Amino acid sequence: MTDAAAATVPAPPKRFMFWRRFARNRSALVGLAFLFLVILLAAIAPVIYPADPFALVGRPMLPPLSGDFLFGTDTLGRDVAAGIAHGARTSLFIGVVATLVAVAFGTLMGGLAGYYGGWIDDLLMRVTEVFQTIPSFIFAILLVAIMTPSMESVVIAIAVVSWPPLARLVRAEFISLRNREFVQAQVLMGMPDWKVILIQILPNAISPIIVAGSLLIATAILTESALAFLGLGDPNIMSWGFQVGAGRTVLRRAWWICTYPGVAILLTVLAINLVGEGLNDALNPRLRERS
Amino acid sequence: MLAAAGIAASLVALPASAQESGGTLVMVTQPEPPNLAPYISTSGPIGQVASKVYEGLVNIGPDFEILPSLAKSWEISDDGLTYTFSLQEGVTWHDGEPFTSADVQFGIMDVLREVHPRGGSLLQVIESVDTPDDLTAVLNLSEPAPYLLVALNGYESPIVAKHIFDGTDIRGNETANAPIGTGPFKFVEWQKGQYVRMDKNEDYWQDGKPYLDRVVVRFIADAATRTAAMESEEVLLGGFGAIPNIDVPALEELPYLEATTEGYGYFAPMMQLQFNTSKAPYDNEKVRQAIAYAVDRDFVVENIWFGFGKVATGPISSLFEPTGLYTTDGVIDYTVDDRIEKANALLDEAGYPRGDNGIRFSMVHDMTPYGEEWRRFGEYVKQALGEVGIAVDLRYEDVATWLKRVYTDYDYEMSSNWLFGLPDPVIGVHRQFHSDQIRQGTVFVNGMLWSTPEMDALMDKAKTENDPAARAELYKEFQQVVTEAAPVIFMHEMEFVTVYNTKLHDVVTGPLGIYNNFADMWMEQ
Repeated sequence: MTDAAAATVPAPPKRFMFWRRFARNRSALVGLAFLFLVILLAAIAPVIYPADPFALVGRPMLPPLSGDFLFGTDTLGRDVAAGIAHGARTSLFIGVVATLVAVAFGTLMGGLAGYYGGWIDDLLMRVTEVFQTIPSFIFAILLVAIMTPSMESVVIAIAVVSWPPLARLVRAEFISLRNREFVQAQVLMGMPDWKVILIQILPNAISPIIVAGSLLIATAILTESALAFLGLGDPNIMSWGFQVGAGRTVLRRAWWICTYPGVAILLTVLAINLVGEGLNDALNPRLRERS
Repeated sequence: MLAAAGIAASLVALPASAQESGGTLVMVTQPEPPNLAPYISTSGPIGQVASKVYEGLVNIGPDFEILPSLAKSWEISDDGLTYTFSLQEGVTWHDGEPFTSADVQFGIMDVLREVHPRGGSLLQVIESVDTPDDLTAVLNLSEPAPYLLVALNGYESPIVAKHIFDGTDIRGNETANAPIGTGPFKFVEWQKGQYVRMDKNEDYWQDGKPYLDRVVVRFIADAATRTAAMESEEVLLGGFGAIPNIDVPALEELPYLEATTEGYGYFAPMMQLQFNTSKAPYDNEKVRQAIAYAVDRDFVVENIWFGFGKVATGPISSLFEPTGLYTTDGVIDYTVDDRIEKANALLDEAGYPRGDNGIRFSMVHDMTPYGEEWRRFGEYVKQALGEVGIAVDLRYEDVATWLKRVYTDYDYEMSSNWLFGLPDPVIGVHRQFHSDQIRQGTVFVNGMLWSTPEMDALMDKAKTENDPAARAELYKEFQQVVTEAAPVIFMHEMEFVTVYNTKLHDVVTGPLGIYNNFADMWMEQ
């Protein structure tokens, strides 16, 4: 590695340190680059494909590269490429929002349990275990089916099944941090609990939360795709999982309908995982040498 | 035995082809039936299996003509109120007991009228059954019922044995999973999750029949495996969706497989869009007609149902053509070339001009939660109505919630749906359009809250009109007024496919298809 060379250079400011650690992981850079592409695609989707992605714009089941249709058309004559562009918005939006909700709730539960311990910890952890013992995907299907498939219900379902591991992670961090001297000192000086939690402990526990959260986005996108594949997505919103599900009955006759959105899911989830790995290396430098 | 031979000869004259005896028919049915009690359920899989064991008084021929079965012949009094059936002689139940008119009386009055899901309404007109002797059963009706005879077939009205059911809890009878009937095949065993085995009834009342030695009905949960089993000749017959439509073209190309869409006339499944006619703007005939014009039925059949279906013209399926009840005469044709212009004009006339954004009004469309095609159809409807300025939002729920929304809460605007037409409009069609069929909580009845005295009167007359020509005239007018009022948009007559091995002959012999008793089916050895 280049550690020896790095050591001779004067230590750069902290944020550059972060970037350098991140950039040392080449695959993380590739992931980040691809992720930017997806974000860009999502951002410009309404510009390059201004029509409704559900619009029947061509003859059904045109193969890729026929006429204006880069990726062909599906069984009803919808543009597969337009679906992928608009589906990127759905995937990213649901992935990020569901993750934010799950992280916020998981951190709250784990933080309270870890900080206060005792019966609060017991109670909150038993609740967490209840959620952890239900197979998460089945639970998500159930929640969406009960609430009627829509953007909101999918976000809620994904958040509900995603927060428990985060709560456990945050609880462990809080337990170890709350007994450190700098925290105890503040407690002795009479700092209120909420201040100790927010100002003293949380900032020191933020790295593992960010890493876990970034990986959670990938899981959330996969879950959203799987729900849409099963027909449990919002029927009014285009998504990659929906495209795969709608094309699978004609897989042998029109491979492109589910192949392109399938590849989009694969690459996006892979990219997010690579970025997550990179964040892990950058934020937990002491773990860097493990591999 | 001599007598029995005479009767068999006096039955329908069969073509003098060389039927061969022997062979085991393996068919696949999807899904596995919950029980084998056709007298308490009209469920398809139950009917496919139990119709080989139980028989009815009559059978139905290719053109809906009524053929003898347990009844050798019958006479209907001039007022249409008395049906006198002469029963076949020498018929025994599979346990050896003789079959008599007491079984008919008990089967109709105490079983079918009491516990059968449709029996309560269909056989309601039968006030009593007299049994002057063992081989004569007389049905006394409260009013003429031109639809009655066809409903006495073995699938709809199976006759069960009095000596087995009398004095027991009929729903809980022990033969519910091990039926004892009079049919060409005797029930032998049911390996749950695998197969039902039925063997040839050596004492069957039609001499020389059945030709097959054995019928094995297999249950294979995975659709691709069922197709593969057909391909490998492991199973020889499958129908009613057991073989997915999408796989049929490939199977048909194999030299040893044949596919047919015949044999579903009894069910006449109709795919439709229905309105809640109590809600504005769907209480406006012009709006309903405009939507009927806006959807392209050909596109839907070709691209969503992959060609399996026939564009519908009205409430009565074209499969009823042989009965004379089907007509397109004077019925509005919603498939004309200028249908989009017509739709736009009607919406303008109805008082819903396009707004600045091109939208006239918006609606929520409920999609039938039966799977992929129904989703695609909903997505298509959204686009098609968008074209004429109606903004559609789609809703997809589970079956129970959807049924409750449409048939209990009436909390919907427009929903897709499909219903069986069944072998007479009284059975399958009236339930949707008669105001006495607005029955909150009962599914697949009048969920449109549709009620006009004019249509009610037509249906009431047709229900008791015994003269076929007069009846056809009534239904002609009915088809005209329903299609014009358009509380339901008739999309297409759905087609199912029966796939069978070419070794088999006389597979589909009438509108009951694979719900027939297979007494006539034979196999090349």
